[in-house]
Amino acid sequence: MQGHHISSAGFLWTVGTTLLILTLLTVSVTWIHIPAPFNIIVAISIAVVKATTVALFFMNLWWDTKFNLLLLFTSIVFLGLLIGLTLIDTMFRSDVVPGW
Amino acid sequence: MAQTSETSVTRGAHVQHHFVDSDQQFESSKMGMWIFLVTEILFFGGLFLGYITFRLWYPDLYIMASEHLDTFWGTVNTIVLIGSSLTVAMAIRSAQLNQQKGLIINLCITIALAATFMVIKYFEYAHKFELGILPGTYYTYEGIPHDLANIFFSIYYMMTGLHGLHVMIGIGLMIWLIVRARKGHFHSGYYTPVEVTGLYWHLVDIIWIFLFPLLYLID
Repeated sequence: MQGHHISSAGFLWTVGTTLLILTLLTVSVTWIHIPAPFNIIVAISIAVVKATTVALFFMNLWWDTKFNLLLLFTSIVFLGLLIGLTLIDTMFRSDVVPGW
Repeated sequence: MAQTSETSVTRGAHVQHHFVDSDQQFESSKMGMWIFLVTEILFFGGLFLGYITFRLWYPDLYIMASEHLDTFWGTVNTIVLIGSSLTVAMAIRSAQLNQQKGLIINLCITIALAATFMVIKYFEYAHKFELGILPGTYYTYEGIPHDLANIFFSIYYMMTGLHGLHVMIGIGLMIWLIVRARKGHFHSGYYTPVEVTGLYWHLVDIIWIFLFPLLYLID
């Protein structure tokens, strides 16, 4: 690892502007009232694109050692397991919260 | 001895004795920070799971309750946090280029933006407290026709509160960085604390990137 990556000021401003535009986009799509399941999909997709942009170009994972990317990826996999395994219980209960 | 003086020059004062060189020390610190960020993602992940579980059980509740969150101020706060992520990235760039003044200025702007975020959050909370929108059993507001409206706001306060706590800790870290930067501790060969604090700050931004549409933009 000789020399650290130094982003140019112009590049950082481009990344920041991209995030700003995506923020305005995610707000403005709520004005056109996309039907039920798709509005969540659109909102989360934009959030994922924004988060990926931050991770790759602000947190420098694009130029970093692949091990740090693997760490992030692992956390997302385990988060998926946590959510997935819990939902296959909670989504298919006849009595949502027993004794409530 | 010539050899000793030579190694002490290449190692630099900041390199601790158990590291081979400056780069190894830097990479180790950064990996340690990434492991911490993994625990942070799973820590917040539990709350996101709570959010998802209740949203699937009570979809109407979320739509009704979300109308009491102000999209305008949520959007402003998102822009403020993105701006602060940009200035942190610029602060790291300044440190890498030995620009001590730029480093301090960028850190100061970041603190100002983080404080702006917290002030807006304070007014949002204060307005809800006035209406009686408090978490759990303290909830007294009558304006949402749903028995479990307090649950949405318990989730809201827990997620935004924990996120706000992270912003406060970030402000503290940034003040610490400014104190050290003023003492001239950071230069192109050593800026590890700026780098890892930057990683922390970007993660706090990423968490808000998900909280914003999930809480404010439900229609």
